[in-house]
Amino acid sequence: MRLRKIAALSLAAAMTASLTACSSGGSDAPTATTAGAAQGETKKEEAAPTSAPTAETTAPAQKVKMTVSVWDNASSPQFQAMADAFMEKHPEVEVELIDTQADEYDNKLTVMLAGGDSDPDVIMVKNAETQVTMKNKNQILDLTDYIARDGLDLSIYGGAAEQLQMDGRQYTLPFRRDWYVLYYNKDLFDAAGVEYPSDDMTWDEFEALAKEMTTGEGGAKVYGSHNHTWMALVSNWAVQDGKNTLMNEDYSFLKPYYEQALRMQDEGTVQSYANLKTGSIHYTSVFEQQQCAMLPMGSWFIATLIQDQKDGKVNFNWGVTKIPHPEGVEAGATVGAVTPIAVNAKTDVPDQAWEFVKFVTSEEGAEILADNSVFPAISTPAVVEKLSSIENFPEDGKTALEVTSFAFDRPLDAKMAAVRKVIEEEHDLIMIGEEDVDTGIANMNQRAAEAKQD
Amino acid sequence: MTSRQKRQLKTNLVGYSFIIPNFIGYFVFIFLPVCFSFVLSVMKWDGSDAPMQFVGLQNFARLAGDSTFMISLKNTVWYAVFTVPLTLAASLLTAVLLNSKIKGIVVYRTAFFFPYVASLVAVGAVWNMLFQPEFGPINEFLKFIGIANPPKWCASTDWAMWVIIIVSVWKYMGYYMVVYLAALQGIAKDLYEAAEIDGATGFKKLRYITIPMLTPTTFFVVIMLTIQCFKVFDLIYVMTGGGPGRATNVLVNHIYNAAFVDFKFGYASASALVLFAIVLVITLIQLRGEKKFTDFV
Repeated sequence: MRLRKIAALSLAAAMTASLTACSSGGSDAPTATTAGAAQGETKKEEAAPTSAPTAETTAPAQKVKMTVSVWDNASSPQFQAMADAFMEKHPEVEVELIDTQADEYDNKLTVMLAGGDSDPDVIMVKNAETQVTMKNKNQILDLTDYIARDGLDLSIYGGAAEQLQMDGRQYTLPFRRDWYVLYYNKDLFDAAGVEYPSDDMTWDEFEALAKEMTTGEGGAKVYGSHNHTWMALVSNWAVQDGKNTLMNEDYSFLKPYYEQALRMQDEGTVQSYANLKTGSIHYTSVFEQQQCAMLPMGSWFIATLIQDQKDGKVNFNWGVTKIPHPEGVEAGATVGAVTPIAVNAKTDVPDQAWEFVKFVTSEEGAEILADNSVFPAISTPAVVEKLSSIENFPEDGKTALEVTSFAFDRPLDAKMAAVRKVIEEEHDLIMIGEEDVDTGIANMNQRAAEAKQD
Repeated sequence: MTSRQKRQLKTNLVGYSFIIPNFIGYFVFIFLPVCFSFVLSVMKWDGSDAPMQFVGLQNFARLAGDSTFMISLKNTVWYAVFTVPLTLAASLLTAVLLNSKIKGIVVYRTAFFFPYVASLVAVGAVWNMLFQPEFGPINEFLKFIGIANPPKWCASTDWAMWVIIIVSVWKYMGYYMVVYLAALQGIAKDLYEAAEIDGATGFKKLRYITIPMLTPTTFFVVIMLTIQCFKVFDLIYVMTGGGPGRATNVLVNHIYNAAFVDFKFGYASASALVLFAIVLVITLIQLRGEKKFTDFV
């Protein structure tokens, strides 16, 4: 009896422990010798007047080791390509990639930085919002002075660099950019005898076109369009004009877009949200199995389609064009996100890290990304040319790559993650029809305000 | 030191050396984190190397005003209130049925135990498919037998928790069935023989012999089930992710989000301590009840 009591109590205790026990330990520290050597080198360079590390390196045998945190390295060849190209230009630096699984990346990074290690020296910021937290915790280096010293022209990023600024200082630079475009199935349009979606459509025109393209019944039904379950597939169009953001106090600007999404769902021109959510249905399978004629989705999907076409999983003609736009907004206005790159505030090789950042965010780096079907933050004619000349990229798809204005899908704000959670819960309820739009928006207003408080 | 004392010391040292490996593990991985979470619960800390800030009972005060915490608490209690008795009844029933000498008994027992060892992620995905509101087999069947508007299950705030409860019962009853089976083997046969001589029928034997003799086991099962129900997380994470909206958000969900999404470790520890207190109180009440009802054993 007594034993059982003890067992029960200690189980209860163990339970609590396992819930809150957090690991504040960092990752492996670099070995003493490497770190020492690296620090020694850095000191020499700090003493030197210029930042060019090549000329001053006294001991060429001793390479400077620099680490870069990346995710899903095995399926993302651009990271290694970037590192290789950099090492070729800077033979004295050895770049080592620290790889983490994509969905674990933010957590792992948080733990590594909390440990106060000098690794990773360079940080790829997977979700731009997290740079705010990192800055608030003094974990990333202010690059403003480096940029001024080297006279970098930030206008090449089409405004993205400025949008990444925090308190007027540049802590990060954009290296990758993705934005929403409209994919369509050319074969389905040809069969229906309907003209391909134009690169200048309003959302109302898009809705009418989706209705026109909806055919069939039951298992053979082809939907005019497809809305994935992300909140972005509604909220993005509401922020496309750049006037509102998801950190607004009042979310009523979302209303017309919720009404449209619900209307399309009720009329059966898109699959129901409840179905997609409970079935965990991925948009890739819907589009690739020709169950929808159009698909608004991010530019990252181009690489997927090209790859799947190579593997024989896509055996129809597809096209891509500019995303539709709200009335009164210019065609080519789009919504998306950038992937910034930052330098660890505790890095032991700040100059080399800066050189790396400068390299990957340069035009040269952009072309390496483009070679790997990844959309760089800079879109020079050379980059657009490279992207559109990728094998199997639709010839008439070049228009989708021309961006006139770019709004962030979510603003950079330390509270964005907390706010996002509550508004997504309300999004869920609106889309399955448990809440009407007005109630949902009222709840968003109230709960987002609460989430912003602490 | 006399030689007797020396011998005693030696014996003690041998004894301690046996328990020390386990104790070190317990101390480092359980005892210290528990103590740490008590400290954290009165602190404000984001997990970085920034210093902690003492905030007194502010974390606990905030819990009361946090609608997500209150909903999570309500959902957890709701889940436990239904899952505990249902699992108990289901496991007891199957144990009694499978305690007889029928052909292929091992196959049946394995079949009932199987869900317990099956991968939770796979099981969650399969049940999600079965409960799919539009073309899932369960709703197809319900429509077939004439129910025009079957529940939308995981896509409905009213039904989502029931799906979780049903799957939980199905998944965990096998384990407690085995516990009951072991206990059933321990009931003396002469009790049944005596009852038969007195003319007791099958049901009466169950009601007046089996169930009372199983009381200690039942208490054990109830305690384990209650603790398990209050710390439910994985199944919900896989099946609904706490949705739709917050309909299946439970306490551990809330703790996880506070700690590892919002990085509010103090606040998360405070929630965890509330959970700890709830489980502690329930366990103490049950232990007291056990003393009262199982004196005959």
